This record gives sequence, C-alpha cells and structure tokens, in this order.
Amino acid sequence: MPFDVVCIAVIGKMNNPLYIKNCSSTYQDLKCHYIAHTSIDLVEERISTTKHTDQYLGLLYAMEELAVFGYITNTRVKFIIVTSLQDVAIKDQEMKNLFRKIHNSYVSLVSNPFYNPDSHKPIVSANFERAMAEVTAT
Amino acid sequence: MATAVLGQDERPLVAEASLDFLVVEMVDLMHRSPTDTEMDKEAAYFKLENLGYQLGMAMVERITKDRPRFLDNLDVVKFICKDFWIALFKKQIDNLKTNHRGVYVLTDNNFRWFSRMSGDGAGAEISRQAFAHLAFPCGLIRGALGNLGVTTVVIGEVSTIPQCTFQIKIAKP
Repeated sequence: MPFDVVCIAVIGKMNNPLYIKNCSSTYQDLKCHYIAHTSIDLVEERISTTKHTDQYLGLLYAMEELAVFGYITNTRVKFIIVTSLQDVAIKDQEMKNLFRKIHNSYVSLVSNPFYNPDSHKPIVSANFERAMAEVTAT
Repeated sequence: MATAVLGQDERPLVAEASLDFLVVEMVDLMHRSPTDTEMDKEAAYFKLENLGYQLGMAMVERITKDRPRFLDNLDVVKFICKDFWIALFKKQIDNLKTNHRGVYVLTDNNFRWFSRMSGDGAGAEISRQAFAHLAFPCGLIRGALGNLGVTTVVIGEVSTIPQCTFQIKIAKP
C-alpha cells in the first residue's frame, strides 16, 4: 500500500464513538478524536446533498498533512480512515477495499449474539481488534 | 432462513425441517412457562418479539452490505418485502399496500412458518393460536427497519392460515 493509515474510526448511528484507533506514533489520540468528530458533519453534509447512493463517500477533507476518507453503511454506521498525505495519489479502489474489510469485520461483530448494537458502548472485541490491525498493517 | 444471501460460496447448509421445528418449539417454549394471566401471555409475546428484533438487526446489517444506500422509507419497506423476505423465506411478500402516510400493510399469502400448520376447531380459534407465532416475525421486521433508521410498530394479523398480514406503522419523528 502506497500510503500510511494514521487512524481508523467507527462511529455509531447516533453519532456515538464506537471505536477509534490511533495507528501512528506522531499524532496524539486526541487528534484522532478531533478528526472523527469533525468528519461527522462532513458525512452528514455529503449524504444530504448528493443523490448518489454509494456507501463509499470518498475524500471528505484534507487537513494539514492528513487526508480523511468516509464510508457510511445502510444502517448509518460511519467508518473513517485518516491517511497521511503523500505525493502519490490514493486510488479510490484501494480505499474502498480497506473500507470493505472494516465493514466485513463490523458485520461479523454485529452477528455475534453477545454484542448488543443498541448499547452504544465502545467496541470491545478481540476479533475486531485483530481485523483492524490487519487493515492497518497491509 | 435461507443461507443463499448470507454466506457466499462456502455457504453452510441448513436442514429446513429442523429449522421449522426449532421455530415452532421456540414459541411453544416461551408459552409453556406459566401463562395463566393475560400478563404472562403478553410477557411471552414480548420476549419472542425481542428475540426477533435482535435477529432482524443483525441480519439486515449483513444483507445490506453490498447494497446502495436507501433514499426514502418506501425504499426501505420495499427492501423488506423483497430482499429481506427472500433471505428469510425464499419468497417475496405478495402484496404491499400503503396510505402514503406512514402505514404499510404487507400480505403474505403463504407464510412459510404457517404453511405446515393445521388445526381443528373453529377458524377463530386457529387464528388465535397462530397469532402467538407471529411475535417473532413481527420483531424481525421491526428490528430490520429499526436498524435501517426507521422506527416502527409492527402488528401481525392472521385471518386464515397460511395467510397473514403485517401492519407497519412508522413512528412520527
């Protein structure tokens, strides 16, 4: 992969934070929370203004040396990926594949009868954690 | 519940007969706990409805994975009639009526979980018995719609088995 994932965030349907992972050593955790919060507004704007119904929302915004990408499921769960800006262009297809992986592991998580999707609590799951590590490692 | 949509290629197979027995037994089990008073019956109904709700939530997450986003409520209800019902019962809802003000009536002329049921006695008595078996599918619909962002109340109705109707009322935001 020609780019580094800095942060992955999963935001629930009530805009509650479900999972925020900071994969970098250069940024503080707070920065990731801040970015995740900011992107909620942009996701909302994106889905209310565009007619196109793809779950992948593309580049939400770029800030300093970071680029933020968004994805929203049919069940209004948002996934955010933050990457560091580099000289090479990031291909949409690569991004989509990453989101797809996150989506797949989220679906597996929800299918677990011990997970209560109405609880709005942050995700605590070894399997999900492992899948996220895989996403960032590739 | 058909597995055709759930797993792609290495799909696990489900014995239909055992599944049907399980569903019937589940309803029976809930009602076997003392149901002397009207309140106990309601509690059993509520428990089954809640089970359906949980399952509906999880299932919809899975089957909408590769689907474009929904535009409006009618779109969502249509999805329930088609894709969701096919994933559950391998058939579509036969009739969908709406008053365009948030009430949808779904009619299934041959509801799968009723198709092998029969009873003696008056029609009204059979309908009353079959009604207990509607709690679970009502919950399924409510859970699916709920997870897609549509808060609803779902009421089932049986006139003559195997036909049944589901009335969906969308709660005003």
